[in-house]
Amino acid sequence: MRECIVVTSGKGGVGKTTTAANLACGLALAGQRVAVVDADIGLRNLDVILGLENRIVYDLVQVVEGECKLKQALIRDKRCDGLYMLPAAQTRDKNAVTPDQMRQLVADLKEAHDFVIIDCPAGIEQGFKNSIAGADRAIIVTTPEVSAIRDADRIIGLVEAHELPEPDLIINRYRTGMVQRGDMMNREDILEILAIPLVGIVPDHEDVIISANRGQPAVFDEGSVVGQAFQRITGRVMGQEVAFPDFDAVGGFWSTFKKWMGLTPAREVM
Amino acid sequence: MAWFDRFIKGRPKSKDDAKSRLKLLLIHDQVDLTPAQMDQMKNEIIEVISRYVEIDDDNVEFRLNKEEDGVALVSTIPVRRVTARAAG
Repeated sequence: MRECIVVTSGKGGVGKTTTAANLACGLALAGQRVAVVDADIGLRNLDVILGLENRIVYDLVQVVEGECKLKQALIRDKRCDGLYMLPAAQTRDKNAVTPDQMRQLVADLKEAHDFVIIDCPAGIEQGFKNSIAGADRAIIVTTPEVSAIRDADRIIGLVEAHELPEPDLIINRYRTGMVQRGDMMNREDILEILAIPLVGIVPDHEDVIISANRGQPAVFDEGSVVGQAFQRITGRVMGQEVAFPDFDAVGGFWSTFKKWMGLTPAREVM
Repeated sequence: MAWFDRFIKGRPKSKDDAKSRLKLLLIHDQVDLTPAQMDQMKNEIIEVISRYVEIDDDNVEFRLNKEEDGVALVSTIPVRRVTARAAG
């Protein structure tokens, strides 16, 4: 079954682009044919997160305006088979594309790809409406903060108003140490409020910044806790049953001792 | 013995603040009433009830609650005397 998934959040800066990039790469690594679309017209960033910024020739707006063929604008990711990115235009604005054009674009992409992943811009205006137009379902990214969860709740309402099925949730920037101290809402707190299915928890870890510096999504690094989190998410998105590791368990004597000795950074235990 | 309470219960958890603020926020987002409008509604309701019974104004509780399928307006209005004042 071919599927278009939009990655959205409402609030900016919670990790939509990182999530879209890792999910797309994860799916491609699992043998799927994937097209990942940057729908943030005017503020494109997916190309940078994927490390493909130097290979852009054409963009999404040029495709919908008929200036080039879809195939010409798609950039093939050489790191894994079956992964293509469609960049956003940097010099246009969100009104350059209509929801109908996006629907058509997604339909065209589905002809040659198993998954179309859309990286949605922040906000609830035109860019959001365009991103959601061709989507079959949505994944909402939030962080364990009041403002991000508030916006996620609003977006859940809008997604359902667009007659998409109940969206899935990714909790990003989870900090086990803070959760254990009671200084961060835990997964149950967040699920109680948002009441949608959880598809993954991504720890707050420096790997995210390192992978962004390099333009190499963490999911390529099997040793990275962030990469592992995105691998689990990829599996769940493909419909597999993947167990959630117990992020909130208080570490035993040995891990407490190691932390105390400075042998492992506190956040590494997530 | 505040220090003793603190010792037993530990530091108040900031996530509980986050959660309760968030819950209230979402209810208000859903209902789309400003705190001023909420206050006005509360005063008008109290005014109507006061025409019939004498109520304890200082201990009126008035809040929106998130229920399974929507939002409920929950209010506790202590009555001092049930004698109808305005009835005659």
